[in-house]
Amino acid sequence: MNDNQKNIRNFSIIAHIDHGKSTLADRILEYSDCVAKRDMEEQLLDNMDLERERGITIKARAVRIDYNHKDGKKYILNLIDTPGHVDFNYEVSRSLSACEGALLVVDATQGIEAQTLANAYLAVDANLEIVPVVNKIDLPSADPDRVRSEIEDVIGIPAEGCPAVSAKTGLNIEDVLEAIVSEVPAPKGDPDAPLKCLIFDSVYNSYLGVVVYVRVIDGSLRAGDKIRLMSTGAEFETVEVGVMDPFGLKATGELSAGEVGYLTASIKSVSDTQVGDTVTLAEIPADEPLPGFKQVRSMVYAGIYPADGSKYNETKDALEKLRLNDAAFSFEPETSIALGFGFRCGFLGLLHMEIIEERLEREFNLDLITTAPSVIYKILKNNGETVYIDNPTNFPSPDEIAEASEPVVSASLIVPTEFVGGIMDLCQDRRGVFIDMKYIDTGRVELHYKLPLNEIIYDFFDVLKSRSKGYASLDYELDGYEKSDLVKLDFLLNGEVVDALTFIVHADKAYPRARKIAEKLKENIPRQLFEVPIQAAIGSKVIARETVKALRKDVLAKCYGGDITRKKKLLEKQKEGKKKMRQLGSVQISPEAFMAVLKLGDE
Amino acid sequence: MRTDIFENKRLGLYFHIPFCLSKCAYCDFNSSVENNAETLTRYVSALISHMESYKLCAKNHDSDSVFIGGGTPTALPEEELIRLIRAVKKTFNLTKGAEFTVEANPATVSVNLLKKLRRMGVNRLSMGLQSADNGELKALSRIHTRQDFLQSYRAARAAGLDNINVDVMFGIPYQTFDSLMKTLDFVTRLRPEHISLYNLKIEPGTPFFDERKNIKRLSADEDTELAMYVSAIDFLSARGYYQYEISNFARSGYQCYHNLKYWNCEEYLGFGVSAHSYFDGNRFSIIGNLRQYMDAVEDMTSEAPLIAENERIEDRERVGEYVMLRFRLNEGLNSMEFASRFGVSFEKMYGNKALRYVKAGFMTYKDGNYALTPRGMFVSNYILSDILEFEDLGGYIGNI
Repeated sequence: MNDNQKNIRNFSIIAHIDHGKSTLADRILEYSDCVAKRDMEEQLLDNMDLERERGITIKARAVRIDYNHKDGKKYILNLIDTPGHVDFNYEVSRSLSACEGALLVVDATQGIEAQTLANAYLAVDANLEIVPVVNKIDLPSADPDRVRSEIEDVIGIPAEGCPAVSAKTGLNIEDVLEAIVSEVPAPKGDPDAPLKCLIFDSVYNSYLGVVVYVRVIDGSLRAGDKIRLMSTGAEFETVEVGVMDPFGLKATGELSAGEVGYLTASIKSVSDTQVGDTVTLAEIPADEPLPGFKQVRSMVYAGIYPADGSKYNETKDALEKLRLNDAAFSFEPETSIALGFGFRCGFLGLLHMEIIEERLEREFNLDLITTAPSVIYKILKNNGETVYIDNPTNFPSPDEIAEASEPVVSASLIVPTEFVGGIMDLCQDRRGVFIDMKYIDTGRVELHYKLPLNEIIYDFFDVLKSRSKGYASLDYELDGYEKSDLVKLDFLLNGEVVDALTFIVHADKAYPRARKIAEKLKENIPRQLFEVPIQAAIGSKVIARETVKALRKDVLAKCYGGDITRKKKLLEKQKEGKKKMRQLGSVQISPEAFMAVLKLGDE
Repeated sequence: MRTDIFENKRLGLYFHIPFCLSKCAYCDFNSSVENNAETLTRYVSALISHMESYKLCAKNHDSDSVFIGGGTPTALPEEELIRLIRAVKKTFNLTKGAEFTVEANPATVSVNLLKKLRRMGVNRLSMGLQSADNGELKALSRIHTRQDFLQSYRAARAAGLDNINVDVMFGIPYQTFDSLMKTLDFVTRLRPEHISLYNLKIEPGTPFFDERKNIKRLSADEDTELAMYVSAIDFLSARGYYQYEISNFARSGYQCYHNLKYWNCEEYLGFGVSAHSYFDGNRFSIIGNLRQYMDAVEDMTSEAPLIAENERIEDRERVGEYVMLRFRLNEGLNSMEFASRFGVSFEKMYGNKALRYVKAGFMTYKDGNYALTPRGMFVSNYILSDILEFEDLGGYIGNI
């Protein structure tokens, strides 16, 4: 270890949502004096508006902090922020791989939650030194001692004497910085070995191209070096190399083993610089890449359509812009009879999908129709061919299918004991297979279930939250495919299939789901001049039906005193409503109605 | 044949009296209970100033219809109503035999008053009965009963009024199919010349609106309402009252001339709060606030606005209005007349959509004539908002 590395500490902060990760990060920045308090926007690390609003961190960021230790030495602390949601588990794991230690923040009033555990396990897997930090001790209901012993019992790491802080008030923050210096090991890379940098994030910038955030494991990197990305073999010439101070990028010209920084190399798309990939030098490449790289694969798919069909190109531009910055997001054009031209989009999970939708609507001012999310089904056909289906419309007919299977996840739920019954019913109802149940303390249990992913993306979170008054937490990871009795459920309006409403559903669920959606359709389809029969069908077998009664009355009986203008305005308002409607065969349906049906909840 | 250049243009006149003895719970017209005699007098004076300011622009027009509506015109003191009528006759060139209508609430008229009105030239009376069932009248918070109406009706006949309209409503809380038919039977036996049959609409800003859930629960459902409407048309026709507009029925020769002006895109001037006009290619309306109206009219030099809305009706919108208004009428729209009026063919502009409705039974087509059937009339908003384009409707929303 050289002197340079001795004074570096690379660490992450991991926590369950709302346990105070971002606030603690701010206090650390503030304490180390690199940001004057008055200059600080609240929660500096969360760059996107959306992140700040939702109180969660979506994209990883890193920042370098200069810290003057009371022993008189100067330390470089690299804080690598991690996304706080199950959809971004892989990104979390890569960020952790760039560190030697992690602060595990636990809310002193809440204790350990599902993501606390999931993140702690990820940190253990990445061989990190875990430093527990008990937060929110300023709150009256805080019980730091109970939480400390919970950390010891449940996670199995010593927590006695760990920092107990209030990130909000700044109480005891110095203890945290002390602990980082004393507990987290210095990096141990070989500065003379061939270059190996781990990409833990990348962001598109319209001036610089892609800014690649890296941790140098071995070797060193200089501006002007020709680099190679080991997963694809793509080569680029480095333009700028530097570090991230709290105010932005600062070119230093060089990064060497143990350091965290960025590089730019006129790279056009973040899909070229995938998280987890290894950067090496083209001239003297490393023998093998760093372990753990995975191609990010979308787990959830949905169709995104402009509510106004003429906005197709604008939608496409917006999707392209988002993809520049999000390698985990994918899309390709698709056509629906019901919705016209649109895109089949792939997401890491439901939250990722919601974030993309919201950004499209907010940043690009688009009105969208999003079809119900679907997972990828694996179908073994009778002719021996295996196909993967990401759009329910393409699901083969039953006589072509030898075996259908669906993705399952292994899920961990942490639930206060009083709600266990209700949550177990929910998992049961969602075709969950019970694995085990452990008491975390007298008040809470951890449940393990194997659950089909398509049940989770169907309003599972909402029901979980409502049945536990918001106290239950969930974490899951993909656990392969399992054989399943799946059927394709079609909906017909006036005898015509509406492709955008087609679902894949387990045979046992088909009837209740069909009834529910048929009812929703009935509520939401505007009445037409004729009766509209709604049918739900599996193949040619109708399993549920409803009828939208014909519109009988829509008349302005009195047109008093020659007020013609009022009548015109009224008709025009109706016209406006009609303009937005989609014509499905002979039936008109509004985008709002579509959304109401597609976004249905069970409770 | 004499050419029309020597003939004056025709003009309808409307006067709005925004006062009532009590406000009905369903009514969203501009009206209020006003007990201050000074205000009533001041308002009539304002109306007179207002109409006099139009004397010059209307000097080349002959007025062949006058309509004093409300509110309740008969809520004015007798001498004020007479002062207003006198001023109308003095200010405008009324044609001989011009239709002169006054609206009356059955609780506010006497033979004496009606006789005076008749002598002043009022030749048509419009009476708001709404229902012959006292329970239904109470539900509407009307201040009169079936007996009051009968008395007033007889008084009107005794006063020599030989052109009477009776307003009837359907869709009233507690009203059934049978009770509507009983009301219609009652009315037709009296043999008024004209019957208006309106569907009650629950309008925002009314007590009915606040109570709409209850009101709807107590009223007939849409299917029943449609049945009421279609059966009423048949019933009235069998008694010699022919439908000529969505809500209007008349014995032959007694169609309301003033109302027809609205549907025929003819000119009319409206005076008083919230009154509407179509004059010289413009549609405009007067502000609704009573005090502001009187202030503005009393001092025409003031900056205070009198006009609430004004729009010039350009070519394409004129076409749209024409379609919209003609389809209110039973005789509907004649494609020959349309072509000669606008120089384009109706079929080319709207034919495909119209034919769809013909096929579906909401419209009839015969010898170049398109007209809505009763079922079609009852969903005419739906049909018209489909047929017409934004440009036809003025593009209030569509152009933004």
